[in-house]
Amino acid sequence: MDIIKEIYEAVMEGKVDDAASCVQQALNSKVEVNDILNKGLIAAMDVVGERFGEGELFIPQVLWSAKAMQGGMDLLKPHFSSADHAEKGTVVIGTAKGDIHDIGKNLVAILLEGSGFKVADLGVDVPPERFVEKAVEVKADVIAMSALLTTTMQSMGEVMRLIKGKKLPFRVIIGGAPVDQAFCEEIGADAYGMDAADGLRKVKGLLGR
Amino acid sequence: MKIQVPRQDLLKQIGYKESPQPKLLRMADEMLGLLDRLVEPRRTFKAILEEEDLPPFLIGAALKYVGAATLGPKLENRVKDLFEEGKPAEAYILDTAGSIAITKTGDILWDEIRQDAAAKGFKKGLRRTPGCRGVDLETQKWIFEWLADPELGITLTQSFMMAPRKSLSFLARFGGKLKASFSCKGCPQYSDCTLRG
Repeated sequence: MDIIKEIYEAVMEGKVDDAASCVQQALNSKVEVNDILNKGLIAAMDVVGERFGEGELFIPQVLWSAKAMQGGMDLLKPHFSSADHAEKGTVVIGTAKGDIHDIGKNLVAILLEGSGFKVADLGVDVPPERFVEKAVEVKADVIAMSALLTTTMQSMGEVMRLIKGKKLPFRVIIGGAPVDQAFCEEIGADAYGMDAADGLRKVKGLLGR
Repeated sequence: MKIQVPRQDLLKQIGYKESPQPKLLRMADEMLGLLDRLVEPRRTFKAILEEEDLPPFLIGAALKYVGAATLGPKLENRVKDLFEEGKPAEAYILDTAGSIAITKTGDILWDEIRQDAAAKGFKKGLRRTPGCRGVDLETQKWIFEWLADPELGITLTQSFMMAPRKSLSFLARFGGKLKASFSCKGCPQYSDCTLRG
């Protein structure tokens, strides 16, 4: 089996050590870095995301794959030239003000990182101003917000008002148990992620990746 | 109080309907063992005898209660550590097991309240959690002022969230007019819920 295929299989199966050793082997054999990334790591993670969305895989398997991908990415990063695009984009993520629940947000962050995005995780109980400040600071492409309660999801609207008031270019995706497409449209967010995999898919869609 | 989370319940909650791969089974068993060592379930309830300044849900009830339960802080601290150690699958499984455990703890508490009510001649009751179905989240403050139990170990944030996170609280009422019986159909997660089976 060629080494790219082995990398692909290792990520698909969530074999963390195998993925890292195959990527190292590919690097040692002077395989193109972008081929390792795009045809091996990212291609596998894309399929994992699709299978999760279709109910064929479940969160633990997706997390193993994301971890395997991340291990490979860590080995690749020093080899990217300035012309390469090591990251697909930058996402600022956090749980809405007043809310301290973070499992869903953490899963989305891991999937984003595993798929090649740079993630700035602000944690929980994040004030609207902080989302915007951080997005400006890191030149983010996307702000991703999560909330577990109808009371705390209201602050997502405040983030939208700040972005629109300052005419900032950030795309916004929201998610969490009480959030739905109607609320997304009501506050003028760009996308609603039904679950972690859907969130990843929507972020990719927003950025045309 | 011992809270048991069967492996099958955990796997179902994660989404598995059939037996998953051995690696996942081993991890599930490992996390259930960890859960067993980490949870420190506590619960309490109190009957409300006042008739003034009641939350709307309790008005008109013959018997009124507040109740709360928690698994303690060790579980979620370990979940946080697992995420930070780069073990997100373990963190997710342990957190999910904790969610099942706090639900079971809440059910035990509810049974105790129902027994108390039954001894007073009331069999049918309803419970509501602040933040859900017409009970304001601010009602948390009222509940914990009534419970006034520092041994419980639950504190409220400024936005009335409970810490530790694997905690729950509710109002309960028996007698009087029970205007609305509980139905899952009002829940926004109705179509995706894994708890209904």
